[in-house]
Amino acid sequence: MNRRDMIRASVITGAAAALGSPRGAAQNAAAQAAPSELTPAGSGVDASKDLAGPGWKPLFLDEHQNETLIALSDLMIPATDTPGAKEALVNRYIDLVLAAEARDTQRAFLNSLGYLDGESIRRYKTAFRYLSREDQDDLLHSFAYPKNGSGWTGEAAPPDVGHGHFEALKERIMTAYYSSQIGEKELGWDGAFAHGPYQGCEHPEGDHK
Amino acid sequence: MSGNFWGQDPLQQTYDAVVVGSGATGGWAAKQLSEAGLKVALLEAGRAVSPKEFTEHMPAYKLKYRDHSPEVVRTRPVQKQCYACMEYNYEWFVNDLENPYSTPPGKPFTWQRLRILGGRSLVWGRQSYRMSDNDLKAASRDGYGDDWPIAYADLSPYYDIVEKYVGITGAAEGNEMLPDGQFLPPMKMSCGEILMRDRVKAKFGRTVTIGRAAILTQNHNGRLQCHYCGPCERGCSTFSYFSSPFTTVKDAMASGNCTLITNAVVAHVNMDAGSNKASGVTYVDRLTRQVKEVRAKSVILCAQALESTRILLNSSTREYPNGLANSSGALGHYLMDHVVGAGASGRLPDFKTLPNANEPARPNGIYVPRFRNTPTSGKHSRFIRGYGYQGGAGPEFNFSAEGYGASLKKGVKEGLYAASLGAFGESLARWDNYIEIDRDLKDAWGIPALHINMSHGDNEAALMEDAGATAAEMLEAAGAKDIRVQAGVEMPGMAIHELGTARMGNDPKKSVLTPFNQTHDVKNLFVMDGASFVSSACQNPTLSMMAITVRACDHLIDRFHKSDV
Repeated sequence: MNRRDMIRASVITGAAAALGSPRGAAQNAAAQAAPSELTPAGSGVDASKDLAGPGWKPLFLDEHQNETLIALSDLMIPATDTPGAKEALVNRYIDLVLAAEARDTQRAFLNSLGYLDGESIRRYKTAFRYLSREDQDDLLHSFAYPKNGSGWTGEAAPPDVGHGHFEALKERIMTAYYSSQIGEKELGWDGAFAHGPYQGCEHPEGDHK
Repeated sequence: MSGNFWGQDPLQQTYDAVVVGSGATGGWAAKQLSEAGLKVALLEAGRAVSPKEFTEHMPAYKLKYRDHSPEVVRTRPVQKQCYACMEYNYEWFVNDLENPYSTPPGKPFTWQRLRILGGRSLVWGRQSYRMSDNDLKAASRDGYGDDWPIAYADLSPYYDIVEKYVGITGAAEGNEMLPDGQFLPPMKMSCGEILMRDRVKAKFGRTVTIGRAAILTQNHNGRLQCHYCGPCERGCSTFSYFSSPFTTVKDAMASGNCTLITNAVVAHVNMDAGSNKASGVTYVDRLTRQVKEVRAKSVILCAQALESTRILLNSSTREYPNGLANSSGALGHYLMDHVVGAGASGRLPDFKTLPNANEPARPNGIYVPRFRNTPTSGKHSRFIRGYGYQGGAGPEFNFSAEGYGASLKKGVKEGLYAASLGAFGESLARWDNYIEIDRDLKDAWGIPALHINMSHGDNEAALMEDAGATAAEMLEAAGAKDIRVQAGVEMPGMAIHELGTARMGNDPKKSVLTPFNQTHDVKNLFVMDGASFVSSACQNPTLSMMAITVRACDHLIDRFHKSDV
């Protein structure tokens, strides 16, 4: 289940809940008519600097979870010749979203982060954030690729729990990174919203390499 | 309220026509009738919209949640199922907590609605295709259901009018299932799409064409051509895609004959005591909750298929105990929505082009017109009717790249040359798919809500099964690798092409509307939106809905001139 699916699942439960008590819902809705009917985006709000303040504090994560997430994100998308996830403050964005999400979604995230610590303690007797970078890398590598069944015996692989948690954390970090201003630059975006008409294929007929 | 044409209280006069709904069809009705000299009141359940709130050029990092806002999920759990409902624009979509509906256990239906001037024309997919007599007269050809009471020759001149005004980009193909129209220059195809077009034609004889879309490829009727920024559903500062507030509604207001009343949530149609005629509508002011009445010599519902029928079902009288203009009993029945859930995707290794964040974003794809059960293909053994594909091919960033670390960053940027096809299948008109009033459920304005009872049947499932396998076969012919197939049936409503529930026909015992969208029962009451459809075909329906509206308005204007309303 990817992140979008998770959102969709919570959506459907939410809809059932919303429709379950129509009269109550209608009355609540009447009581909470919004003062402005524009979205923040529609009224031109720019939130791009909100997370960069020096006094930032997490809304949802505790200090250990936050530090673990920073260490993990730095490994997941490191600084290379371009800035990485740590510079993009992905931990702060993920914390912001988590704080507003449904309890089940929050719990799923903490489970994945906790799994990482659990495996770290099992193998190295200490939490993930305190490992050397080399050990962190070794541990993460062991979850990073799916374990397939045997091609020789046709045996199916058991459910790959570690890889599932890896993918969940990776999707969070990738979403946070590539939606940041640093991430947009990483993809090469020049900041302009229009680049002339779409030209399509300009090859001679029959040669479309 | 605005645009009052006599400087009087808009509720203290009798209009020639009241039009309920300001979207694709309501905008046309208001334009045609007011420009013909009729005094029109145009009612919209939502607020007015301003180009200042368009956000198509705003990067996601300026949004608090970068387009993953939990607020959208909380207030619009149903609407969020539509890709176009996002942190940028969610206020355009109805608040699901205020606008409930019910479905039977195990039969979900997703109902996507906007309440704002222009309605869904603000966020629609813009794909615009004509129907042919293969669609309108399908029952005569395969024996299922009913023919439309009108033929392609009746609609063709109205397609012309609508296309010339709206501006439809597309390429003429001479395809037997998809009549050509009045096109602006076509958008270009990518290399992968051209390869797919040529190989699919060579191997299967099927047509792959560039999408026909309500987007300007040259300046047209005072609007600027598309600047290829991409996300049309967030608005367009150059009005390059068609949406009613900045075209038809604007024209209606300019005529001096149209009064626009926003925030008017219509509850029911009023009947004139003692005569079998509608006298106007009653609405609830969305903000003040005050109940008000608009009087008119004719009532025209363009509120969206299910909403228009909901208004009629909520307008029962002693003479019409089961819903106004429902002597046939057909009102609410034959609900349709194109079946989706099948297709295929893969990558085209022939192409090495890298993804480029600074490439112009084409807001359009490719289209494969229906090729099953056509006059030349012969009959398919497992299903009737057919499906069309929308799709595309081009380089994309690979956010599914494997692993982590520097190699992940590299993998994302190297991307992949992706190709995909997704099917839209015909939804058969069935009596068993219906809407009715849920007596225990009301919206935030106290108006009884709908109970929607719909499921796709065996024919739709067979269409999707074939569409998945066939899409894979076509991608393979184009040289695709790593092909993934989907062949499921999504819940009804997902195509957002709701049609039927007040179908037209010649027989007043079997249909609600005449071939001119007038109710058989009440001569000055009209339904001019997708509710009138007899069958769904498989083409995106908005273009046909608009053509049907303009045709019906011509008829109504003619009757006004003959003083026959």
